[in-house]
Amino acid sequence: MKLYRTIFFLLIFIITGGSWVSIAFKPTPLKFEIPKGWPQPKYDFKNNPLTKEGFELGRKLFYDGRLSRDGNFSCAACHQQFGAFATYDHNLSHGYNNSFTFRNAPGLANLAWQKEYMWDGGINHLDLQPLAPITAPNEMGETIENVLNKLKADAEYKKLFKSAFGDELINTQRLSKALSQFLVMLVSSNSKYDKVMRGETSFILPEQLGYDIFKKKCTSCHTEPLFTDLSYRNTGLPIDDILKDYGRMKITGNKEDSLKFKVPSLRNVAMTFPYGHDGRFFSLRSVFEHYRKEMVVGPTTDSLLRNKMPLSNYEIGQLTAFLYTLTDTTFLKDKRFSPPGAEIVPSFIHLH
Amino acid sequence: MKNKAYLLVTGCLLLVVLFGFDTKQQHKFTIHFNHKIGLKELKLMDEKYINDFGEGMIIAKFKYYISNIVLTGDGGKTAAIAASPWLIDEADSSSKSIHISSPFTNITSIQFQVGIDSIKNVSGVQTGSLDPLKGMFWTWNTGYIFAKLEGYSDTAKVPGHYFTYDIGGFKKGENAARKITLQLPVSRIANPASINIDADISKWFLSKYEILISRTPICHSPGALAMQIADNYSDMFSIGQFK
Repeated sequence: MKLYRTIFFLLIFIITGGSWVSIAFKPTPLKFEIPKGWPQPKYDFKNNPLTKEGFELGRKLFYDGRLSRDGNFSCAACHQQFGAFATYDHNLSHGYNNSFTFRNAPGLANLAWQKEYMWDGGINHLDLQPLAPITAPNEMGETIENVLNKLKADAEYKKLFKSAFGDELINTQRLSKALSQFLVMLVSSNSKYDKVMRGETSFILPEQLGYDIFKKKCTSCHTEPLFTDLSYRNTGLPIDDILKDYGRMKITGNKEDSLKFKVPSLRNVAMTFPYGHDGRFFSLRSVFEHYRKEMVVGPTTDSLLRNKMPLSNYEIGQLTAFLYTLTDTTFLKDKRFSPPGAEIVPSFIHLH
Repeated sequence: MKNKAYLLVTGCLLLVVLFGFDTKQQHKFTIHFNHKIGLKELKLMDEKYINDFGEGMIIAKFKYYISNIVLTGDGGKTAAIAASPWLIDEADSSSKSIHISSPFTNITSIQFQVGIDSIKNVSGVQTGSLDPLKGMFWTWNTGYIFAKLEGYSDTAKVPGHYFTYDIGGFKKGENAARKITLQLPVSRIANPASINIDADISKWFLSKYEILISRTPICHSPGALAMQIADNYSDMFSIGQFK
């Protein structure tokens, strides 16, 4: 009898001891919503469960210039929310010490559905992605070690890392996981196009005609609902003699990948100009002109574009009308994705 | 009295649960990596060394990842050492000794990999010796740098005459991870306290392939050259002298 009692008390001790530890750290889970009809995301949420605390930490990091060498270049410096998280109006982004990036900053949206990142697909995991711009001398120009030291010296960050991950440890893995938690939440799925697909509204005539043309001429690469099939293709952009950027070939070392770049998503395309991997097209019009006239067909040019892409002025007009329906104003103005503290706007500040 | 006996029994049981299952005796020993170039001991940023092609060089950086150690012991049995990879760095003398617990008294051979398993190259940001901040990681084309040899040579026709061999690659067709097996001399098999492994940098330049600094002063990405250099340096290890 007494043996049972001893065992009983031992069990009580172990259970209470254990639960005390687990009560101490309990972040609020954050649900990742998959828009209706979309495929399963590819991001491994099991390895990085989303929490409100992790997301908020990621957001603060995304907007923090201290991730760069001189404090001037946050992630958000080149990924601006009003530009659908691309660099608004810049062909190449501006980096540390008056430098240019080598490529046009892509818009950040629906990243959880991707498996490879960058125009050449060189990065195979979203968590690893931020390390490239942070350390590139012509982007944020900083070392990971310095970034971590700056964060460790900040009491606020210690608190935030603790509430997101359970203790004050700040390392590369946690930095990148927090950023990923913010980044995967950047889902754009509420444009007019989406509303039409959900049956909540309908296209006006030019939009509908444009959509019909789109489905005939564009959709095999810019596949719905992500508006990219995430493949790498050469769309006939002749090489820039200064940048000498051969795209995917740099990653695979395969000649057949020469001048191939990832098919960009067309979501929010009206906001993500300039276009092309090096931002050489400043308007949709110039992209259409490229496809129907300017293209240089070479050995690796995509088989669908061997004869360029015939487009009439009429078709360009309708396609443009359709592409404008991909602008997701909910996403562009979502307060959850704005700089921390931006939700509170004093009444005397006039908002544009 | 009976009460105390029960407590004692329960306590013992608890101790057995906590520590007792690990009854196999572990033999602890140290593997020490000793870096040389030809017959000379390596010193960073010091002496000018000459490779087999007569090219002079001063070595600035020399480091590499060791992983997947497998010991062969008593009666040909093998044991994999479960531990995260070790980054052996000439600039950090403590990194050159690694401590191993072996289930065998006699060890006949040691197998290890220079490189990082592909799974660690495709699953996000790792910690410890694999933390990307160790500088053994390509951020722009995901993957670990398995081994790094950098330095100055007048024959290197690159800025600062600074040659850089950063070797890695985990994908099919460009895998630069190499397995190395070293047999221990009979005299050293029984219960060694430490095992010295020599790594001879001169093999980077001449072994299976001829790698001239004047011809290829730079290797920065996975591919054919990286695999040739990896083949070469996989021959650089040998069981060293024991003091």
